[in-house]
Amino acid sequence: MRPISRAVLRPYVCPTCRHGISAGRRRFGSKSDSPDLYDVVCVGGGPAGLGLLAALRASPITSKLKVALIESQDLRKAKAWDLEPNQFSNRVSSLTPSTVSFLHSIGAYDHLDVTRVQEYQDMQVWDGQTGSRISFDWSMETSPFEDMRTVATMTENANLVRALLRRIADSGDENLSLFSNSTVASIENGSDLKPEGPDLSAWPVLTVKPTGPAAETGTPKRIAARLLVGADGINSPVRSFADIPTQGWDYGRHGIVATLALAEPATQPFPASKRTAYQRFLPSLGGPIALLPLPNNHATLVWSTTPENAAYLKSLPTPAFLAMVNAAFRLDMTDLNYMMGMQSSGSTHSHQDELTWRAQHTPLPTQIPPPAAAVQTGTVASFPLRFRHAAQYVSPRIALVGDAAHVIHPLAGQGLNLGLADVASLSKTIQYAVSHGMDVGDLLTLERYSSERYLPNAKIGGACDLLHKMYNVPGEGPVAWARSLGLGVVDRLPFVKSFLMKNAEGY
Amino acid sequence: MASLRPRTFPLSARALRSTLRSTRPSPNHFLFAPASAPSTPTPLTRAHSTSSVSADELSHFSALASSWWDPMGPSRILHLMNPLRHEFIASCLAEGTSNPTASTPSTATLNYLDVGCGGGIFAESLARTIPLDPTSPAPTPTLAASMTAIDPSTDLIRMAREHARMDPTVDTHLRTGRFKYLNTTLEDVLAGNAPISTSASTLPDSSSTSTQVTPSQYDVVTLFEVLEHIDPKTSTPLSFLTNCLRALKPGGWLIGSTISRTLPSFILNQVIAEAPWPIGVVPRGTHEWNKFVNPDEVKGWLQEGLMRAADTGVSRGGSAVAEGMRWKCVGAIYVPGIGWKMVPGSEDWGNYFWAVRKEL
Repeated sequence: MRPISRAVLRPYVCPTCRHGISAGRRRFGSKSDSPDLYDVVCVGGGPAGLGLLAALRASPITSKLKVALIESQDLRKAKAWDLEPNQFSNRVSSLTPSTVSFLHSIGAYDHLDVTRVQEYQDMQVWDGQTGSRISFDWSMETSPFEDMRTVATMTENANLVRALLRRIADSGDENLSLFSNSTVASIENGSDLKPEGPDLSAWPVLTVKPTGPAAETGTPKRIAARLLVGADGINSPVRSFADIPTQGWDYGRHGIVATLALAEPATQPFPASKRTAYQRFLPSLGGPIALLPLPNNHATLVWSTTPENAAYLKSLPTPAFLAMVNAAFRLDMTDLNYMMGMQSSGSTHSHQDELTWRAQHTPLPTQIPPPAAAVQTGTVASFPLRFRHAAQYVSPRIALVGDAAHVIHPLAGQGLNLGLADVASLSKTIQYAVSHGMDVGDLLTLERYSSERYLPNAKIGGACDLLHKMYNVPGEGPVAWARSLGLGVVDRLPFVKSFLMKNAEGY
Repeated sequence: MASLRPRTFPLSARALRSTLRSTRPSPNHFLFAPASAPSTPTPLTRAHSTSSVSADELSHFSALASSWWDPMGPSRILHLMNPLRHEFIASCLAEGTSNPTASTPSTATLNYLDVGCGGGIFAESLARTIPLDPTSPAPTPTLAASMTAIDPSTDLIRMAREHARMDPTVDTHLRTGRFKYLNTTLEDVLAGNAPISTSASTLPDSSSTSTQVTPSQYDVVTLFEVLEHIDPKTSTPLSFLTNCLRALKPGGWLIGSTISRTLPSFILNQVIAEAPWPIGVVPRGTHEWNKFVNPDEVKGWLQEGLMRAADTGVSRGGSAVAEGMRWKCVGAIYVPGIGWKMVPGSEDWGNYFWAVRKEL
């Protein structure tokens, strides 16, 4: 916990000591420039930070709170984001039904461009080593008269961010300050504004500086936060200020993303609106490859693999890259390992030829996705995979949400959902505090949030970590047998499977 | 499951006892020493009660003051209970207030008096709900327009004020006088001679800004975790409750919470809650079980008190007042890991909230 000159936890200090403390503090604090006071200051304008702001503005209980958000990117640009109908950003997330219902409840879902959003009802997951599979298909659970249940909804992050910004703009600008193109230059404890003002010695005071073209002319602003929310990502400055340690490790893996156009499927899905997500674990290549549906027969690729493989894949010309993606869903581990070592500067068709020839000699599973036909230019990118979990989510007048609190392996697509679940819980906690006369920055308030979120996040992060480790043991052996036994059992026991599916949905 | 009260409470009981003892007018009431000179040792309690505080209790007292607002300290269970007080008050006010002519039901119009506020856990939380702009709608169903919190302990009042300064909203209310901490007794408030400003040292400008006259009658009088600390040797709950009712406007609510003296409550409070770690959640010696009061006892005193208060001519008199008494009572149970829950019917298990409405 950060040092607070007069700790919130022990506000009583005997008069002599207090005299000494205030004399010492006076040397640093200048009383004349008292900061602007805000109830909630959120650092970070990603989906989590904007989601919190939108949730607070949407509730009649918290809509009167004075709130601020600080984001280094240009939020006006994010609000004006636009792409051609068949172009898709490569930063795509899958929203669980509970996340979707949260977005509905705060009135943000209506601002989402639904023509760019794709639900899927079926999920095919299999082990590239043993071939054992599990299928998450809600259409078997529901009667033909109901709508098919959705496993998850794919949306571009930019679409979501734009929807949240529009929702916030809808709430008017009273009591709202958006510091766009701005960074937090410093965070420090406030000072006691005795005698004419309150004692802010336990309040975080931020110095907000404009960036970009306004950096020269803009003047830094000082704002004090009753509650400072860190939605500022894995290297959270708010977390550093709060002196909260984080544990974790780097996976030594990179995630490759790309937007792909798929070939027409050989057999039309039944029912026609049914969409399927595909994930194949590739133990000897370092992680799973997943193909998640986007509208108009597009899909987004997430391939977790070693940094060497990632570098190799990114260096390939487009036809070779496509051949590798299609091979990864079809060929044996041995074949894939061989193709991963092929000369990337060879003939542009050598990868495709290799795939065509080897696929003839491989028994293909029934659940493979339609072949990827094209890559959208400029969408192949990679990012390192990491696991992090903050030791605490809260500290006096501080709360961490989203990646600032936890970063997990993306193999279950749960990262953004956990972040928005944090936000839903924190906004509910703030509502409870306001309606019960509690200070929203008080530890007694914030502990409600952290006790609600810490274990679920640890559980899901841990489950993803376990899956990653189990599916990184190549070859036949006890782990591979256990995997196929486990998947086989789960696939055959409907109640276990539906329990898992409900958990994955976030219910 | 247990109803709990931290060890620190007997001290507030002591403070209260001094309130009760001072029912007889005493010249000591005016001997209150303003805490303007920090160099001079200030009395821990007001002069008239200093004699009842032993050296042992004094050291205990400083421990109390430093940990009162520590969310993990011995008062934690009380902090956790505080939101329920707001909910119980809201449920009472939903049945009617002393201000039926208010233009809109959601305007903040009610004046509160918190008797035995201690370090201000409840008083400060209610003050936070007072809108900064008196004309704007009340943010909560407690509809508070002002809060006067009294406690006879100088140290606790000073600590409460010091803590209130950490919230700019509450600090503003302190400066405008909509929120007041008074180091005084209920009897002084009734007599209209409550000190307006008592802490020149912490708020030098308050004497000039807090010019608002303390209303002698209130819309809501609260009495949280106070009743069970009355020392039967020096005062009676009946005379104390009668005074509380006198401070109430017709149609207003007297609302409190306390612990019942029953077998289940004995098991929960004395045996389980004070058991050694990890079962127990409060230190040994926290409770004085024989001072706990049962709901029917409170109800009886209030009936008698309503009649006595009526005899002073504020309201219509006689037993008719007691017969039409609006009485509410609901139990509250603390479940470790879950928190406090209102459980109707659990009044005899330990903690319970009670409320009575003075007839219009």
